[in-house]
Order: sequence, then structure tokens, then C-alpha cells
Amino acid sequence: MIKVRALSKEFDMRDNGAGVLALSDIDFEVHDNEFVTIIGPSGCGKTTLLRIIAGLIPYDQGEVAIDGRAITGPGPERAVVFQNFALMPWADVLANITFGLEVRGTPPNECRDKARDLIRLVGLEGFEKRLPKELSGGMQQRVGLARALAVNPQILLMDEPFGALDEQTRRLLQEQLLQLWEEQRKTVVFVTHSMDEAVMLGDRVMLMTPRPGRVKEMIDVPLQRPRSPQVEKSTAFVEIKEYLWENLRAMQVGES
Amino acid sequence: MKQETVAKAAGNSSPARPVDRLWVLRRFTRENAPEVLALLAGAALWEVLGWSLGLQWLPPFSKVMEALAQFVASGVIVANLGSSLQGLIVGFSLALILGLFLGSLMGRYRPVEKALDIYVHAFFVCPSIVFAPIFFAIFGLSDAARIAIVVVYAMFVIVINTATAIRTVDPSLVEMARSFGCGEAQIFRRILLPASLPLVFAGIRLGVGRAVKGMINGEMLIAFVGLGALAQRYGAQFDAAKVFAVAMVVLVIGLVSNSLVQILENRLTRWTE
Repeated sequence: MIKVRALSKEFDMRDNGAGVLALSDIDFEVHDNEFVTIIGPSGCGKTTLLRIIAGLIPYDQGEVAIDGRAITGPGPERAVVFQNFALMPWADVLANITFGLEVRGTPPNECRDKARDLIRLVGLEGFEKRLPKELSGGMQQRVGLARALAVNPQILLMDEPFGALDEQTRRLLQEQLLQLWEEQRKTVVFVTHSMDEAVMLGDRVMLMTPRPGRVKEMIDVPLQRPRSPQVEKSTAFVEIKEYLWENLRAMQVGES
Repeated sequence: MKQETVAKAAGNSSPARPVDRLWVLRRFTRENAPEVLALLAGAALWEVLGWSLGLQWLPPFSKVMEALAQFVASGVIVANLGSSLQGLIVGFSLALILGLFLGSLMGRYRPVEKALDIYVHAFFVCPSIVFAPIFFAIFGLSDAARIAIVVVYAMFVIVINTATAIRTVDPSLVEMARSFGCGEAQIFRRILLPASLPLVFAGIRLGVGRAVKGMINGEMLIAFVGLGALAQRYGAQFDAAKVFAVAMVVLVIGLVSNSLVQILENRLTRWTE
């Protein structure tokens, strides 16, 4: 379980010496095997929050703990999927997928076996020897996903993973992620700026407000699993999406 | 399938494709036609100007080649080439090791860069030859003096390029590595080093060129050995053909060392193609 209590984070602004409050008094929990999506307007600190949970940046006040242990840095129980894929351009698909395994000292033949399974899982058979630049954006992010899954984390932290993809690819990958999640049931924290995506994927949607970033509301998504693209037509889906839009719209009015 | 290829390569009769023994040459001339033509044109122009102007400092190209042939035949070149190359290789290796080390530290750690940047740039813009008398004072008429000259010529451009290369590595790759628990050493070996290679090699190539300059200047001004000493001696005798002949040898050293770096670079940074 991920537990966040009274979390605050301030960024130094070098030019005037004053700090900017990025996150203020954040409280929430993510239960084991739960899929939580985080949505909010830009500047609400959702990516900062994810990076804190990933252990990539420190926080100033409050408590962030996983299964009762405070986070002090990255850990083997967590893996991150990045918005810009963060693939090594010099390494082929196979080497990118095994990166996390290798740096943790996994024997090479074991790395290869695991990578084979994952390549099948994300549908990249035949592309093992390709370099990232030879792949489409969707394929690149499937490599990013496979790399994260390779280390078998309990928790998957996804930072707008499909934000850089075109809509068709994005929807395909959402469906694949749902399918994968049904099989593996990892705990997922998924940051997005797409309302469809937030509702389609999440068990709960965390709505954030900007400047400073706060949790506005945790919204349950009472849609049955496994979910198919059909749920988009359900009343519940449409209602939650409209509710999100009302709120996000109110936050943006006067700002843009 | 494989046997068929072997048979063709062996030159067995294959009426569809007659054996082209000159294909290497053909490919070379096709790909390098502009260079070859430019060189031929340059040589021809030089020859014509040499004969028609009759200047003492511009002997015709053929005279220079004649002098070069004499050098090679008499063994003068071979004897001096050895000591020149030795200074070049030792000096450049030192410059490379120091340059990569300092550059990496500066690229990775902001305080190190802030502390050293002014010195590195000062040494980089300062004409390295001003250090010649200083090294002569320190090391005397020894190999160490001309090696030190090669080092100051070659090192700083490598430092600057390496620092820039490391500093500009995509930060999201470093973050990715950290997210998998990589420590500083792993980040360096697995991310920073491979990611920075293309720019680092640009610095190494510039460094090689400067090392060749440093080698000749050091030999001409302080050590009086090797090719630099030859150029110095013939210069004093106003024997332009021989000076140009030495310059030709230096040119070849520069081109060859540059090609060696290029070959290594192409092998190691294939992913950028």
C-alpha cells in the first residue's frame, strides 16, 4: 500500500530566491492491486507527486511510505514508465528491456529468458534487434512498459505514458494495458491529462488543483472489470467524465 | 544459398555477372571522385605555378616529390618518423586520459566545472606554443618537454568536448537509470559514457589534429628531433622542396591518425547513423 500523508514540496526558483509551492498537504492512499489515475490541469504537480513516490526527488514535509516504510529513494518494488519513453538510443529492444534486470545483477541467460516472455507479452516479437529510432512511438512505449515489468515490481508508476502518442495508438495501448493489468494486477499510479484515459483505466481517479497542487477529490469509478472499449458508452463513464470536465474547466477559467 | 555466394566470390564462372577484379578501385573512385579530382587539380596547379613563377619558396610539385623520394630512400624519414610518432603517441595518450577524466568530472559535477572552467578555457585559447620555453626550463632538452607540448596542445579541446557531451546527456535517461536503482558508477558506465560518445569523439578528432601540431612545434622549438627538427634544418637552409617534403609526411600522419579515430568512432557509435 502506498500511503501519502500531509506531503508538501517546494521548488527553489533560482532567479528570485523565493520558493514555489508545488504540492501542499497531499493526503491519499493507493491500495494493493489498485489502479489509481491522477488528473489535473498543468501545474498541479501530478508529475512531481509521481516522481516523489518513485523516489527520484526528495520532499520537504509529510510522509510517503510503501507498506509502512518511508521512501528515501528508488526501490526494487517500484518501476517507472516515462512519458518520453527514456529508451537508450544505442541499445536494441532486447537490451533496453533487460536494463533494469542487468543493473540489479541478474545473470544474462535469465535476463534473456525474461525478456523473451515480455517481448511476447507486449507484442514485439521480431523486433528484438531493432534500435528505438526504428520503432514507432507506440512500440517504443511498449518497450518502456516491458522494461518496467521486467523487474517484476509490485508498483507501476506511469507518468503520462501515452501522452506523446497519437490517439489511435494511445487507445490501443490503453486496451493492452487493461488486459495486462487483468493478468498481473499490479498496483498502478497513472498520471494523465486525458479524462477518457483517467476514467477508462482507473479504479479511482484523483483530481488535483493547481498552484499549489492539492488533492481536490478522490472519485470512485464503479465500472466493471474487465473493461472493454464499450464502457465509454455507459452512463457512469460519461457522468464521471462530465464531472471531471466541470471541475477542470472551473480550474482553468481565468487562467487561460 | 550460402554455397552459391561462396562460389561467386571465388570467381567461378558465372555468366550473369562477370568477375570484376577492379570493383574495389571502381567503388573507391566512384565514392571519392571529388576528393581525387581536387587533389589532382591541386597538384597540377602547383606544378604549373612552380615552373612558371620560378619562386624560390615555391618549388614545383614534382621537385617536392623528388625530395620526398630521396628522404624515403636514404632512410632519413624512417629514422625521424620513429621519434616523432613516439612523442605523438605518448603525448596524445596522456592528453586523452587526462582529458576524458577531467571532462567527465566537469560535465557531471557542476562545482567541479565552475572551479575548473576558467583554467580550461584559458589554456584552450592561449597559444600552446607559449608554454614551450616553460617546458624547456622544466624538462630541459628531453622527450618529456615535447611530450608535454603535445599534451597541452591536445588535452583541452578534449576536456571541453567531453564536459559538454556529459552535461548534455538526456536527463531523462539518467533519471530512468536512477529509477532502477543505479548508483553513480553504473549511471556513468551504462548511460553517460555510451550517450556521450559521439560528442566525445568529435573532441578526440580535434585533439588528434592538435596533437600533430604540438608534436611538430615541440620538435621545432625545443627538442630538435624528429620531423620538426628536419623542417627546422631545411628551413634554415632555404631548401623549400625539402621543407615541403617534410610537410607532406606530417600531412600523412595527420590524415592517418584522423582516419584511425574515425574508424574507431564509426564502430562505437553505429547507432547514430
